[in-house]
Amino acid sequence: MIRKTIVIENKLGMHARPATMIVKIASKFRSEFRIIKGDMEINGKSIMGVMTLAAEYGSELELIADGVDEEYLIREITELFASKFGEE
Amino acid sequence: MIVKRIKGISVSDGVAIGYARIVEKEHIHIETKKISKTAVNKELKRFHKDVEYVINELNIFIQDDSFSKENRDILTTHKMILQDPAFIKRVKELITQKLFSLEHAVSTYFTEVVNIFDAMENEYYSQRLTDFEDVAYRLLSHSMNKSKDVLAKLDDKSILIMKNITPSFVTKVFEKNIRGLCTEKGSKNSHSSIIARSMNLPMLVGISGLLENINEGEQIIVDGNNGEIIIFPSSNVLAEYKSIYLQESQQRKKLQKLINVKAITLDNKEITLMSNIELPEEIDQVIKNNSRGIGLFRTEFLFMDTEKLPTEEEQYKIYKKIAETLAPEPVIIRTIDVGGDKLSSILNVVHEENPNLGFRGIRISLENIPIFRRQIRAILRANTQGNVKIMFPMISGVEEILQVKKIIEECKKELKKKKITFYEDIEIGAMIEVPSAVITSDALAEECDFLSIGTNDLVQYLLAVDRDNESIASYYKSCHPSVLKAIKQTVDNAHAKGIKVAVCGEMASDTQYVKLLLGLGVDELSVSPGRILMTKNEIINCHVQNWAELAEELMELKTSDEIYERLNDSKNYE
Repeated sequence: MIRKTIVIENKLGMHARPATMIVKIASKFRSEFRIIKGDMEINGKSIMGVMTLAAEYGSELELIADGVDEEYLIREITELFASKFGEE
Repeated sequence: MIVKRIKGISVSDGVAIGYARIVEKEHIHIETKKISKTAVNKELKRFHKDVEYVINELNIFIQDDSFSKENRDILTTHKMILQDPAFIKRVKELITQKLFSLEHAVSTYFTEVVNIFDAMENEYYSQRLTDFEDVAYRLLSHSMNKSKDVLAKLDDKSILIMKNITPSFVTKVFEKNIRGLCTEKGSKNSHSSIIARSMNLPMLVGISGLLENINEGEQIIVDGNNGEIIIFPSSNVLAEYKSIYLQESQQRKKLQKLINVKAITLDNKEITLMSNIELPEEIDQVIKNNSRGIGLFRTEFLFMDTEKLPTEEEQYKIYKKIAETLAPEPVIIRTIDVGGDKLSSILNVVHEENPNLGFRGIRISLENIPIFRRQIRAILRANTQGNVKIMFPMISGVEEILQVKKIIEECKKELKKKKITFYEDIEIGAMIEVPSAVITSDALAEECDFLSIGTNDLVQYLLAVDRDNESIASYYKSCHPSVLKAIKQTVDNAHAKGIKVAVCGEMASDTQYVKLLLGLGVDELSVSPGRILMTKNEIINCHVQNWAELAEELMELKTSDEIYERLNDSKNYE
């Protein structure tokens, strides 16, 4: 199991488009993927779950991946957050 | 019953009399009766099949690149909602454990989600509710075979009543030849309204209490001319509107005959009559009305109501499709022209005391060069047929045109470096809407290939009257002597340099002024697609030489009232 803490850096926060991108990438992997924000924990492969996090700019998220390809999953998701989802 | 009138915002002119057909998304009736245990498997199978069907339907749109990237992104999100493991798990649970019908299970799940989102304070998230409602509706209406029902009940006597309408649904119901369209929500310039207007479909929006006041099947009147709907019309009222409707439809038939007639005046001057469009979807109407290309393609829709700036590639595809569809007729693309306040979601814009005199039009482009260059490159590349021209808004003098020309040259070099082929000779034009541009139009004419007068803003800036301020509305006078003189001065300066002048503001399609504009020497008119034929009717009945003489006379007059009166008398003059 890998845990990693990241901060949302894109200005608009985790709205529909980024949420879609996260789920799209996470779903490629076999590992379980969960995201924790405060006292909320959701399935990172569920678009509804990711959107209900309502994570805004600056909020802190904990990513947890568990399974055979957990490393790759965390790497790709971290890259996605770092790219600010392609927003300028 | 007493005649009842409810006010709304008129989107397009015209009267429609017909029968109310209410289509209310929220009104899908869900059977809440439990299913039997033996039916569970059948219900689960139906669930998977329906979800699969809707996903396939969404895929068709997602893969169609004639839709904007933005819309396709939204549909991708919709698709993922349907594939969401939490959604599938919960619906299955409700069917197997609680013995809910498929429809009941799906609507229960979405109600649960909507409640979660409703509780959020962040406005952006509560707005996402419509996404869920859309998905839920799509799935439910498929399961219940509802969407076919909705269209099936519409015919050529229907007036469609809805809470709100999407642009794609406007196109669909238009094909059913409905007579009119009323919505409780919406605004004059929403995408749906723009499309209805270009189709000349009588439409009222923003009618509060609409759904409570109308019953299915009732005869109602939509009065787009006065912005109201009339319920329970008395026989007198009905007779009055029937005669208006008859007149209007005779006029429409008469105009329809002009479709293939050339826009040539009585004294044999050919006027280029083009269309103004705000959305790519309007192109059908441009073609249907047989107009000679696009005199003003507004590109604001790409930049508004969006979270993300459009890429060069996205813009290129949209521009190219329109340019190629209309070739060899010209397509004049205007670079972004919007007040900075409308772009706050994508640009850092500070609050302005006086936005009309502030950060807007070409100023936004020149202060955001990367965005501007992206648009210029997209336009240059879209010119595969040599029929594209570029026009710049809010030009106040030659220095801006020189700056813009330099940027265009740089963009051309960049494209050549990348070995991209395009027509290098592209005509450029300035919008004439700021008084300083009129006064320096001789110099502008030297640097431009054409000029286009935007009368709405020109009148506003010449007379210093805000068009949207009702308390001073009477000061907004399109036939003020200064307006006539400004148009004449622009035309004379342009003609002296051998270039043409178009008018693309509202005056160009106001039957009161079309002949006057031609008399002032204007060469080209560009109007909304729905007004092409009525404008053409003015052109073919105009003797330009006579109107040139009349225009000279009018410019001698000192007040707008005198000009207006003399214009009205001119009907006898012909």
